[in-house]
Amino acid sequence: MRDSQMPQPVGVVIERLRKEFGEKVALNDVDLTIEPGSFVVLLGPSGSGKTTLLRCVAGIERPSRGVITINDVCVAGPRTFVQPEKRQTAMVFQDYALWPHLTVRKNVAFPLASSTRLKEQKNQRVDDLLERVGIAHLASRYPNELSGGEQQRVALARALAADVGLILFDEPLSNLDADRREQLRIEIATLTREAGATAIYITHDQSEAFALADRVGVLNHGSLVQFDTPENIYRHPTNAFVTRFTGVAGECPVVAVKSSDDDHFDVWLPFAPSHPFPALGVNCREGDSSLHFFVRASGVLLNAPGGDKGVCAEVIDVAFNGRGYEHVVKVDDQMTLTKVFSNRRFERNANVKVSFDPSFCFVMAVPGRLS
Amino acid sequence: MVDVSSSTASLATPESPPARRWTAKNRFSLGGTAIWAVLFLLIVAPVGCFLILAVSPHVFQQGPQWFTLTFIRQAFEGITGRGIFNSLWVSTLVSFLAVSTATTLAWLVHRTNIGARRLWSVSMWLLLLMPTWMMTLGWSDLLQPFGAAHAMGINTRWLYGEFFGPLGIIIVLTSSALPFAYFIVSAGLQGLGPEFEDAARIHGAGRTRTFATVLPIIAPALLSAIAISFAETMSDFGVAFTLGYHAHFPLATYTLFSAISNFPANFSVAAVIAAILILSTVPPIALQSVVMRRSKSYAVLSGRTRAPRRREFGKRSRYLVSAGVGLVIFIALGVPIVGALVGSFVKNLGDDSGGGVHLTLSYYAQVIHPSIVNNSLGSPLLLSNQLGLVVASLTGVMAIILARRLVATHGGWSQRITDTFLLGSVAVPGVVLGVGYIFFYNLSFITHHVVDIYKTLPLLMLGLMASALPGQTRFMAGPVSQLQPSLSEAARVHGANRFRTWRTTNMPLMSRVLVWGWLLTFTKTISELAISQILYPPSQEPASVTIQSYLANFQSGTGTAMTVLTLVEMFGVIALALGIYRLVTPEGWRRTGWSVVD
Amino acid sequence: MQTTHHTINAFRLRFATVLAAVTVASMVLLTGQAHASSNPGFVLYSAQGYDHAAVAAFNATNPGFTVTLNDNSTGPLLEQIQAEGNNPKWGVLWVDGATAFAQLDNEGKLEKNSVPNVSFNSLGKANVPADRSFTPTGLTVTGALCYNSAKITASQLPNTWAQLLSSKYAGQLGMNDPSQSGPTFPLIAGVMDQAGRYKSGSTAKSVSAGEKFFSSLRKNGLLVSSTNGPTLGAMEQGSINMAIVQSSACYGDELNGSFPSIRVKYLNYSIALPSVIGIDGRQPTIVRADAKKFVDWVMSPAGQKVMQTGDPQGDSLFWPVLNNENPANKIIPPLSTTNAITISPYLWGPLEPMVNAWFDKTIVQI
Repeated sequence: MRDSQMPQPVGVVIERLRKEFGEKVALNDVDLTIEPGSFVVLLGPSGSGKTTLLRCVAGIERPSRGVITINDVCVAGPRTFVQPEKRQTAMVFQDYALWPHLTVRKNVAFPLASSTRLKEQKNQRVDDLLERVGIAHLASRYPNELSGGEQQRVALARALAADVGLILFDEPLSNLDADRREQLRIEIATLTREAGATAIYITHDQSEAFALADRVGVLNHGSLVQFDTPENIYRHPTNAFVTRFTGVAGECPVVAVKSSDDDHFDVWLPFAPSHPFPALGVNCREGDSSLHFFVRASGVLLNAPGGDKGVCAEVIDVAFNGRGYEHVVKVDDQMTLTKVFSNRRFERNANVKVSFDPSFCFVMAVPGRLS
Repeated sequence: MVDVSSSTASLATPESPPARRWTAKNRFSLGGTAIWAVLFLLIVAPVGCFLILAVSPHVFQQGPQWFTLTFIRQAFEGITGRGIFNSLWVSTLVSFLAVSTATTLAWLVHRTNIGARRLWSVSMWLLLLMPTWMMTLGWSDLLQPFGAAHAMGINTRWLYGEFFGPLGIIIVLTSSALPFAYFIVSAGLQGLGPEFEDAARIHGAGRTRTFATVLPIIAPALLSAIAISFAETMSDFGVAFTLGYHAHFPLATYTLFSAISNFPANFSVAAVIAAILILSTVPPIALQSVVMRRSKSYAVLSGRTRAPRRREFGKRSRYLVSAGVGLVIFIALGVPIVGALVGSFVKNLGDDSGGGVHLTLSYYAQVIHPSIVNNSLGSPLLLSNQLGLVVASLTGVMAIILARRLVATHGGWSQRITDTFLLGSVAVPGVVLGVGYIFFYNLSFITHHVVDIYKTLPLLMLGLMASALPGQTRFMAGPVSQLQPSLSEAARVHGANRFRTWRTTNMPLMSRVLVWGWLLTFTKTISELAISQILYPPSQEPASVTIQSYLANFQSGTGTAMTVLTLVEMFGVIALALGIYRLVTPEGWRRTGWSVVD
Repeated sequence: MQTTHHTINAFRLRFATVLAAVTVASMVLLTGQAHASSNPGFVLYSAQGYDHAAVAAFNATNPGFTVTLNDNSTGPLLEQIQAEGNNPKWGVLWVDGATAFAQLDNEGKLEKNSVPNVSFNSLGKANVPADRSFTPTGLTVTGALCYNSAKITASQLPNTWAQLLSSKYAGQLGMNDPSQSGPTFPLIAGVMDQAGRYKSGSTAKSVSAGEKFFSSLRKNGLLVSSTNGPTLGAMEQGSINMAIVQSSACYGDELNGSFPSIRVKYLNYSIALPSVIGIDGRQPTIVRADAKKFVDWVMSPAGQKVMQTGDPQGDSLFWPVLNNENPANKIIPPLSTTNAITISPYLWGPLEPMVNAWFDKTIVQI
């Protein structure tokens, strides 16, 4: 079944998936449907359950409850458990998991062992992949002779060699240097889509998730909090956790709110008692004392002092990022804004004025504990 | 920007579920039951039968009482009480000495550029494979008046008296425990990346201070080394019986043997002593657990581990340090070998007849063409080799299964129980195991309804397996724990079933461990004495028993020659096995994983 | 390149298979030792040097059953017997010294009236117990004075035990440790017997007299070593010149050339140490009958001859217990010159643990 030239992309359906490790609940009744051919990224902090979820799909972890279906075949259920080697998946590991006693070529060829192809065809396929991934010149080396980036390419080639419809990625870029990371991320995105496979990719890096994904699933404490396109998550986060995790420039407790229309509210903040800020409301009710105001980095505009647009603030830090400048700006004790972009450089300790774009502002209830 | 949860991330993964193995719950407990069933038959039942006599001699018709505490009281009085006390403090002292020396040696060999590194590593292996009775034999031959030293023109009279006292006991026991400690600490050092030392040196620490700063990171390895050195020393019989006796310095194993050697034997007092030996290993394990709970992880050996840089010594220091290491190893290993060699070649070593030193091959001639046919070395040695082959193979299989289990339940109470059990088993003297085997396997119930193997070779094999299993399991547990789990997971996900996964990933990486573990048990089986002596079947006497009968009957020249030949043969087999390994295994297997010599 | 790789792989596979086969074959070889028979015979537990020859010779007479030999040192043999408890595997026991047999008899484990109908000499008779539950097969003597003729001449030697206490012999005497060396306890018991002039009744007086004697010896520099090996070794090194040990050890070393200058003298008394054979009374009737046949054979001229030739430099150096029989080797003097006395194993045997412990504590001072 592994020897069709182009694998059929597979869909994955996860129903009420639960995994407990003793007292600890790693996955809390997660429901998730992954369309065939899509590139899904599971995003969340450490301990959110994303690794556990991936491992359950791979079959190297047994769920406590729930059903997993791959390509309409139930692989994990109340009376079913299909062994990992029979699930037609491939995986790229965070620590590369290359077999140190096998050459690069042998590592990549491993998944082909059960294939019914002829030997020449197999060798050809391995050669093609090595070439495609850019490591043909390393074919007879051993893993410990390669750099991290090269090793991860080998792992990628190996996963592609498996010719399967579902490829799993377990934070493959975490252990790489920054420049390699960018390169390899693009390779992963390109090659996976070229291969036509469905991908489930986990990371804790929001920008990586947004760059790669067709859809992003945000996980927190074992629960799937939001599953949507990156744009929707960015623009319409469902709660404070998602908001914070997907890039907030600053946050501030609210003094008062007043509804202005369906979803929008005017928000009074401590440092500007007479000047309300319009924001999109999420679970927002007037009179709720737990409300916080959030603003995305792309919604913060930085201006020179003078003029009456915006509130006064002080620049704490400035960093050049090639395209422009990122500033850290302190509005008052309750609110410090980070990643504030400007083409113009404002020096440290300079006074500036900041204003907010309402389409990137949110007001929402924040539960008692930090979530 | 946003929160990051406060988990203590380990090096490899920021988020890892507590148990990194996946297995069906049911299958695991079935496998677990099978393993414990085997351990029961091998170790628990026989030792238990012996120990129960401590309070209930009537169970095996060794006395009228069904329950009594008299023997417990007896054991703590008089010479047996002194023996227990002596064993405890000597073992504690020896374990600390052995681990300190081993750590220094391991550091020098693995982390600096001292000379002849391979030689020192190989010497450690030889030391590991050499039983204590051979060592004391060599020392005696060397130091006795008109002994080998005298034959070589060195006056050692002053040292002889000193050696046959606590000093000699401590030297030989430390030499014997040294290799265990060395290998455990070496394994710990392998996982210690260079960044810790670099950080220390950059911030101004000299060599010694770096060493002292970084050492606590491998605390688990150090404590494991202390625990095993302690247990091995507590159960040692060779030194207790020879040096201990001569030094009027009773050790617990000697008093245990004395209790047994009367007729009727006092198995009950012996049982109390044995119980104390076993229980004495509990504190080291507890200490080890406490420390391990505080320090988080065993560093993982993977394809990414880079070899640390070696500290460079200046030319002169290099020679000095290398010479120092050489001296220590010579004292531990070289001296006994030289003593034994000379003892086998010099006529009537120890004879004050004043005729000077005469080299002779007559002892070797006696061995190869014995005048008394019954006592030749040929068939006993062949039998010992066959026993070694079978016992080492079977024990190897069991040990790897047990080691994986031990590592898989990392941190749980189940692991602690298994670990304590294994270490406690190391502390069981061979004679206790041997007699326990008679008690258990000669029970009418067993012989009539289960299996009648008393007085057969299979029983002797079981006994030898039981003796070797705990040590070999612990030996393998270290390298097994350093196996990167994701390697097998990757194989499974990419289409390999369990067997293929084991064959293509675990076995190659473990191949060297398996081979050395095998050799360890093989040599231990050949040189094992106590169990062999009490369980060998009619007319099938192993080599160690033959040798001992010569040594005990004032035919030490011949006995020493036999010892040397056996040693040579043992090392020959080792060389052969390693040669076969080299021949049979693909190059990739030898590049990676756990390594014996640097 | 591919084909060579293939060939190497094939070779490796074959090699590994062969290796595995060898292991399995060894296992089969070692374990496939069963043999069935209608009369399986019995197992002889023996520590005697001539036992291999004796068993081979007896089995060669086609007695209708097989004697299986379990040869080992006395210590492990007795441990095995005791550990086997009420499920004994031994049919016949053959070791030096009667105290173990007295113990077994007291426990009711020996076959009574198993002594063959032969003509014992006086010392032989003295060593046959009243219930005839074990048989002396030969005699050695313990408490013989072995000396290094190169260091001390015959005329300089003491003649009595009491003379050993003289300062002339300070630091020149050695002996074995009874807790390590089997024949040594009878020696001590004999000394106690003689020192206390034991006649009948309680042994307490004799025991304390003997203790006093050994304490005095110790004050006079007595050197105690574990067994014959180190004791004779000490003599060789010149630490001591004399030792009170078992006669056969000295004759053996003189004969085999390992200690050419060793000689033996007998003081005013020495203690007879019989080699003894006994049958386990709990075995099935047929086994006991077989065992009886073996014991009868041992005491026959054929058996005695094998005993005398089977270990010519070791255990064969014994005095016969039968009339009209001479020692195997000229080196052995007439029995009368040894002044051998017999002590009762039933009387002294039970005291062994206590005496050994006292000896270790007070004399060896371990």
